[in-house]
Amino acid sequence: MVHLSSLLLKKYHGGYVVLRLALAGHKQANRPFYRIVAAYNKRARDGKYIEQLGSYDPLPNIYNEKLVSFNFDRIKYWIGCGAHPSKPVAKLLGLAGFFPLHPMTITEAERRRAQTQRTETATGTEETVEEGQKPVEV
Amino acid sequence: MFQVIGGRSVQAARLLAPRSAVLVEAVRGRKSRNDPVAKSKEGRIKTPPPVDPVEMVVLKERYSEYQLIMRALRLEFKEEVLRKRYEEETGSRAEERARQEAEEHQALMAWNDQENLRLLKLRVLRVQQEAEEAQRKKMEVIMQREQQQQELLKEKEKEILQLQEDIKNFITLENLDQRIEEALDNPKNYNFAIDKEGRVVKQTLLQ
Repeated sequence: MVHLSSLLLKKYHGGYVVLRLALAGHKQANRPFYRIVAAYNKRARDGKYIEQLGSYDPLPNIYNEKLVSFNFDRIKYWIGCGAHPSKPVAKLLGLAGFFPLHPMTITEAERRRAQTQRTETATGTEETVEEGQKPVEV
Repeated sequence: MFQVIGGRSVQAARLLAPRSAVLVEAVRGRKSRNDPVAKSKEGRIKTPPPVDPVEMVVLKERYSEYQLIMRALRLEFKEEVLRKRYEEETGSRAEERARQEAEEHQALMAWNDQENLRLLKLRVLRVQQEAEEAQRKKMEVIMQREQQQQELLKEKEKEILQLQEDIKNFITLENLDQRIEEALDNPKNYNFAIDKEGRVVKQTLLQ
């Protein structure tokens, strides 16, 4: 695996910095809340991090929005120092417009659309079959 | 195979009606190397999800594009960070800042020296005054002691004068006979009572 850590970053056990989601606080069951965080690679997911760069609430609120926050200045700094963003963070940043849109976001969206279309056509054919049956019965 | 838990991880899924005394949870990878395959999974062949070649081509294209843009972005940000650092250390404002700091430092040092001078003067005055006070007190003590000595002398002189006066009433060998005769001639009677104010109560005077 190629480490893209640059020479600007201080070596720490030979690890590198990642930008990832860390679960914030175990105080409530079934209510997750993530912090977007710059941490060393080998640290625990919820363990000591270097800096918090934002937050992400996965459950939608009363207006059906999922709230995300970013500190773009510091994110730029860390990426410039050679930090790797994890896949969910990259996807979120792509949706925010800071990064280009992640390919998997697009493919997931296409797959979902194909799925819904397939179910729609299936229900459409079912309805037509039902309508066809009813006049026969009548 | 099973993990014994307690405390925080109790929130994890519990086995209903655990027979064991200790609470045990289901953990990923609970089967170790030598455990046999479960009966329901005996003939199972795991296959990865099928890959759509058309989608795969499109995906590869998208990924290459994405990685290109990401690399470019990363280089951009690195350059920005380096430039900022350079500006900090050797930028145009850095010299001004250094100069201002030096000036401030000089001003503060001058003020400090002034303060030190002022305090020095105050201290010198205070020390002088204290020395004078001490001197004065010493002199006072000496004076007092002299005074006391002189008083003592005076008292002693008074006593001597008193004694000299008392000498006249002393009984010496020459006066002895005369005095004895005087005493015998004048008998004195002390058998009387006295009240609180010193008056003699006449009734008790015996003859």
